[in-house]
Amino acid sequence: MNVFAGVRSAAGAEQKDAGSAGGEALLELTPHRMAVCHLVQVFAPQQEGGPATPPFPFESVAHHNRLGLFLFSLTRSCEDFLEPPLEELLRQLKAVDDLVNGWLCEQLTTTLSGLISPDDLFNFFDKLRGVLTSPEGASVEDEFLDPNSQLGVYLRCCILAFNSMTFEGVCHLLSNLVAYCNSAETSYDLAEDEDFNSEMEMSDLMDADIGVRAGVFDKYGQGYATESHMGESSSSFIHAPISLHDFDEDNIFKADENPTCLRSRWQLEAYLNQQADILEKDPSSVPLNSFNATMTQLQTLAPELHRVQFLQHLNALSHDDYVSALDNLHRYFDYSAGQGLFSRSLSANQDIIVGKYESALLSLGSLHCYFGHPKKALEAFTEAVRVSQMNNDDSCLAYILGAISNLLSKIGISSTVGIIGSPYSLGNNSGLGTPLSIQQQLLVLLKRSLKRADMLKLTSLISFDHISLAKFDLKHVQRPLVSFGPNASTKLRTCPADVCKSLRLSSHVLSDFGTGDLSTSHDNGSFSTSWLRNLSTASSSWCSSSAKPGKQIVNDFDNFHFNAQPSPIPTSVLQLAGSAYLMRATAWEHYGSAPMVRMNALVYTTCFADAASSSELSLAYVKLIQQLVVFKGYSVAFGALKIAEEKFPSSTNPHIHLLKMQLLHDRALHRGHLRVAQQICDEFGVLSSSVSGVDIELKTEASLRHARTLLAAKQFSQAAVVANSLFSTCYKYNMQVENASVLLLLAEIHKKSDNAVLGLPYALASQSFCKSFNLDLLEASATLTLAELWLALGSSHAKRALSLVYQSLPMILGHGGLELRARAHIVLAKCYLTDREYSVSEDPRAVLDPLNQATEDLQVLEYHDMAAEAYYLKAMAYNHLGKEGEREEAAARFKEHVTAVENPHDEEASLAY
Amino acid sequence: MDTPSSSGAGPGGRLLHLHRSGGSSFRRRMRPGGGGGSEAGTPLGGVSYVSTPIPDDDAFDAGADKYLLAKTYFDCREYRRAAHVLRGHVGRKAVFLRCYALYMAGEKRKDEETIELEGSLGKSNVVNQELVALERELSTYRRTGAIDSFGLYLYGIVLRDKGCEGLARTVLVESVNSYPWNWCAWLEIQSLCTTSDILNNLNLKNHWMKDFFIASAHLELKMHEEALKRYERLMGVFRCSDYIQAQIATVQYSMRELDDADMIFEELLRTDPFRVDSMDIYSNLLYAKESLTALSFLAHRVFLTDKYRPESCCIIANYYSLKGQHEKSVLYFQRALKLNRKYLSAWTLMGHEYVELKNTPAAIDAYRRAVDINPRDYRAWYGLGQIYEMMGMPFYALYYFRKSSHLQPNDARLWIAMAQCYESDPLQMIEEAIKCYERAANSNDTEGIALHQLAKLHSMLGQSEEAAFYYKKDVERMEVEERQGQNFVEALLFLAKHCKSIGRYEEAEHYCTRLLDYTGPEKETAKSMLQGIKREQSGFPSMDIDHFAL
Repeated sequence: MNVFAGVRSAAGAEQKDAGSAGGEALLELTPHRMAVCHLVQVFAPQQEGGPATPPFPFESVAHHNRLGLFLFSLTRSCEDFLEPPLEELLRQLKAVDDLVNGWLCEQLTTTLSGLISPDDLFNFFDKLRGVLTSPEGASVEDEFLDPNSQLGVYLRCCILAFNSMTFEGVCHLLSNLVAYCNSAETSYDLAEDEDFNSEMEMSDLMDADIGVRAGVFDKYGQGYATESHMGESSSSFIHAPISLHDFDEDNIFKADENPTCLRSRWQLEAYLNQQADILEKDPSSVPLNSFNATMTQLQTLAPELHRVQFLQHLNALSHDDYVSALDNLHRYFDYSAGQGLFSRSLSANQDIIVGKYESALLSLGSLHCYFGHPKKALEAFTEAVRVSQMNNDDSCLAYILGAISNLLSKIGISSTVGIIGSPYSLGNNSGLGTPLSIQQQLLVLLKRSLKRADMLKLTSLISFDHISLAKFDLKHVQRPLVSFGPNASTKLRTCPADVCKSLRLSSHVLSDFGTGDLSTSHDNGSFSTSWLRNLSTASSSWCSSSAKPGKQIVNDFDNFHFNAQPSPIPTSVLQLAGSAYLMRATAWEHYGSAPMVRMNALVYTTCFADAASSSELSLAYVKLIQQLVVFKGYSVAFGALKIAEEKFPSSTNPHIHLLKMQLLHDRALHRGHLRVAQQICDEFGVLSSSVSGVDIELKTEASLRHARTLLAAKQFSQAAVVANSLFSTCYKYNMQVENASVLLLLAEIHKKSDNAVLGLPYALASQSFCKSFNLDLLEASATLTLAELWLALGSSHAKRALSLVYQSLPMILGHGGLELRARAHIVLAKCYLTDREYSVSEDPRAVLDPLNQATEDLQVLEYHDMAAEAYYLKAMAYNHLGKEGEREEAAARFKEHVTAVENPHDEEASLAY
Repeated sequence: MDTPSSSGAGPGGRLLHLHRSGGSSFRRRMRPGGGGGSEAGTPLGGVSYVSTPIPDDDAFDAGADKYLLAKTYFDCREYRRAAHVLRGHVGRKAVFLRCYALYMAGEKRKDEETIELEGSLGKSNVVNQELVALERELSTYRRTGAIDSFGLYLYGIVLRDKGCEGLARTVLVESVNSYPWNWCAWLEIQSLCTTSDILNNLNLKNHWMKDFFIASAHLELKMHEEALKRYERLMGVFRCSDYIQAQIATVQYSMRELDDADMIFEELLRTDPFRVDSMDIYSNLLYAKESLTALSFLAHRVFLTDKYRPESCCIIANYYSLKGQHEKSVLYFQRALKLNRKYLSAWTLMGHEYVELKNTPAAIDAYRRAVDINPRDYRAWYGLGQIYEMMGMPFYALYYFRKSSHLQPNDARLWIAMAQCYESDPLQMIEEAIKCYERAANSNDTEGIALHQLAKLHSMLGQSEEAAFYYKKDVERMEVEERQGQNFVEALLFLAKHCKSIGRYEEAEHYCTRLLDYTGPEKETAKSMLQGIKREQSGFPSMDIDHFAL
């Protein structure tokens, strides 16, 4: 064994080149590959046949093509790291072969088992060479296997590998081949008698097994008479007493003993990429230990394939195993220091001695970021910036900047200086003299990352940066960085157009992919894999239907439509494009357009579900369900939640879990089940504790809900305290959008505690926040609260309140949910009722219509408190009109709702759905 | 010390014990004594040991000639031939020899195949083809009881090669319990005991061989005090054992008591001049003591004795390394590793050489391989940390230093390295650095870096009280070691200033006068300070005047 393979491959530039040229290009010859070679030979058109008629065993051109497609897929597929055994190959071949009654299978097995001496192998490969060379006198138009086609190259590689083989290698190939042929036979035996009860059967089987073994050696022995003692020595233990109890154990060992042949390096890497995709898409579907076992097995088979360790790192990461994730990360980069993650940037003139240690740091930073260690993550990232600057690795730098901005937007950092350690790591603020706030740093980082990515044509990164920029623009007012000099007049507002523009630009990744050179590097063989997979399912279904008399004509391309075929666009690109849509939905959520939210979320779930990771997909579901609850009430939403939970169990998916708690809390508040609400609130508190990383958004949500619960319990002063502290937190972490809703809540608290005067400034502040962040729906809601506050100040302000309500009404009726609409209606009615110039008898519809609408909506929402209010107003109105029957009815409903609030029964039911 | 024989070890190591088992003359000699075996075999140690069990021999008449023929073939390394001769024989010894021959044949074939089958991905799934059959046969014998301790030993290593470590341990323990003098079996058990918990849970009979085993296992698990104690007790019984002497020397080297170990090794070489075992450790020791001549002498001697031993190559590599010829050193380490791919210390030392050659990727690779062979090798972890620190990645390096200091918590050098990482320009995590230096200062820091740095860092943070404390300690240490340099002056100056500022004038005066012994700008400072102190002591309100002057 070459002891220093690893050392040398990393040692120096020229050595490395030599290593890669010798190691990677050359194919290792295995029995499976020989079988494929044989099939290629059958497939290759013979000379005598004219171009019009298909060669001998094939019935039609389509049939011929089908075999070609099959062979192509065989050489490209990557479903596993081991090559399939002969049995599997034969099974797949049958699907192609049925038309000629298994001629191909039979021919293959007889040919392969006919190879019994090294000389047979030489002849076999000699014949293969004939397939590639055109006979003398053949014209150019004649059909031959193109030596430069996929299959042609494959054949040439195999022939080359055979030619450069030592005699020992040939011997090994031969014995492997014998085992390969026999494995098919024995496994057929095993399949026939699955459970052996009597000892007789078992011993029969043992004998068969040993017979096969002996046969192997006999075959071996024919070639080498001198080595015949091997056969004898193995037969010596046949005479030894063999216990039957160990049989199961032995069977396991036998699996080990079978010659395991790895696929080619390319296929292995593609397999690993595929596994990584699965890990990202749905980590819960990958069991931690069995995946690790597979990877360990692969590693013992290919110790120099270090990517395996990276996969183990990813696996540990997705299962929240910090220690093993860290260990595997370091191990991977220790070994593979010379090669980097980003193969695109690894050009020929790369400084290999230095290696891609910066990507190690980048990964380390992401790991800490994932586990919620922002300080450590930042340290790692700054070090990565330094190292990549030192090594002139621009593309990695761009990625690092992207990662830092991701980190900064994720964690709340209050202090403005000293976060990003040394100034030269950023290099921006030294010239300006004033320290930048964290938000400004974030913006600068994003813009730099974008610029670099644009320069280096890193399409995915560009798209990612655009999304991040959109996220930033959504929540932050852009201020000029220079705080001196002639100030241009600045609008202190966010700019929705910018957000839309960024998102549109980010979706360009799809079109860039089509034109750019990304497409060439992304063929990962998954297409071929699923073709093969479908072939077998198709063949089984086909077999069952073939019982019908008469042969069916099978469309060759039917198989393409069997299951969801992988899209030819790589998953990562699809994911980014999908994220843009999800981001759009979020943006519209802020700006307050319900139909746009629904539309974008629906687009995401329908078009990008295949590529999406489970976390993002569940987020889209969450958005849809939230829309449902706002517009259709709880029963419908819980129905949808149940469906979503089947897909993503709420115990493993944080988004769904959170949504469930939100829904339950809202409903408990509406129904007046305060104890349940408090209970769920406590659960929120547990979730937002800093045990599993600090998620600032979750924290704000938890205390917001806490304040709302207190408000519902009429603990006004406490609610105000909680809301105030929440406001200061949001202010500290610069979360202006959240501030708007907190201020509105404060206004609400003061309104409910009959302190309308105190509430007014809060409502006004909230309104102005909403204006500057373009939160239209929230603004309408704030205006409504403002109207209520004015109304509470006395009947003299009814006119002003009415005009405010009318001002907000278009927005609310267009986009508002059930609750908001009902509230608006009630306020409207109240305005009229308190207005001295208005009398019910003159225009009863002005009051009764909105009230009817409100009661209807609130019925769906099960909001007792407000429903009671609406019915009360209704009863009053009917009283004025003198309609006693209607008055009594409304009063009865009023009483119903009031008792429901005051004597809540079956509170436990609030936890179920 | 024998390296634990592993699957990668050459067949030579395995052959050793066979002479004892095959030549029955040894046992015949014991026979007449009857029960006297226990007296002869058990040393008087004041501890009650179990009596040495005597394995009952087979009837040796049936097929004795065949057995001898097979044994001869075996000794000529014609393993399959030996196994063939013994086919069909059912005597325990015949069975053992046949199985062992088959095993050896499989090992030999495996080694050949490893070279033949080397693929682009370093495929190393070659296994001993005989394992399955052997496992099947031996397990049957074990169940029926038709197996002797050597058969059990063979069964144990077969199981270990197949990866059934738990069962392998049980079987090997059975083997040594029925025949305790098979040191190879003990070594196999030792290689399977990776933690002290496993070691303590072994169900071993209290035979005196167990003491050897436990001591050696303790050494392997870095429980040096326990190992030393046990070896010293054994030394009292086996007075002229080279092996125990070598082990004691190894323990002492590991505990960094170089001079004692050196003496023992010299003595060993005098009594056993052609010894190669444990000599690599001696060479490490000589390297640490930088005694070039002795090392060259040792290298020459082992070279003449047996140049194709991994230990010899390692010694020569050490010699070249000390000479500063690192390319040659790497070459010899590579040779040692070719001879034994799992030679742990060679990987680590080769990493050091690559560091000297500034070939960082190769060094990282070498260290990493050492760590993967034995994750408890703190020197390799330390080496990895050092390399990354050299490459300007202190944060990344911290992971490795943390690993190494976790394995060797009482080694000041590791803590200092970690502290220097924290202290480095990009990180500037002073609090963490102070914590590390404190650990270093508490664990016998011979070079005194920790105290000085602690004082400096504390004074940087403005904690002058703590700084003064550490400076004082540092001064005391330097006084004891009679070392005087810039650090000493610096410490005195700080202490003088500090004492003056808190009004302890006498102490300040003391430090100032000591400063006067040195030349340089500090002397002048001390002079002016002395004057200031005098003025203040005399009650002259100089400070106020100064203030007014300002």
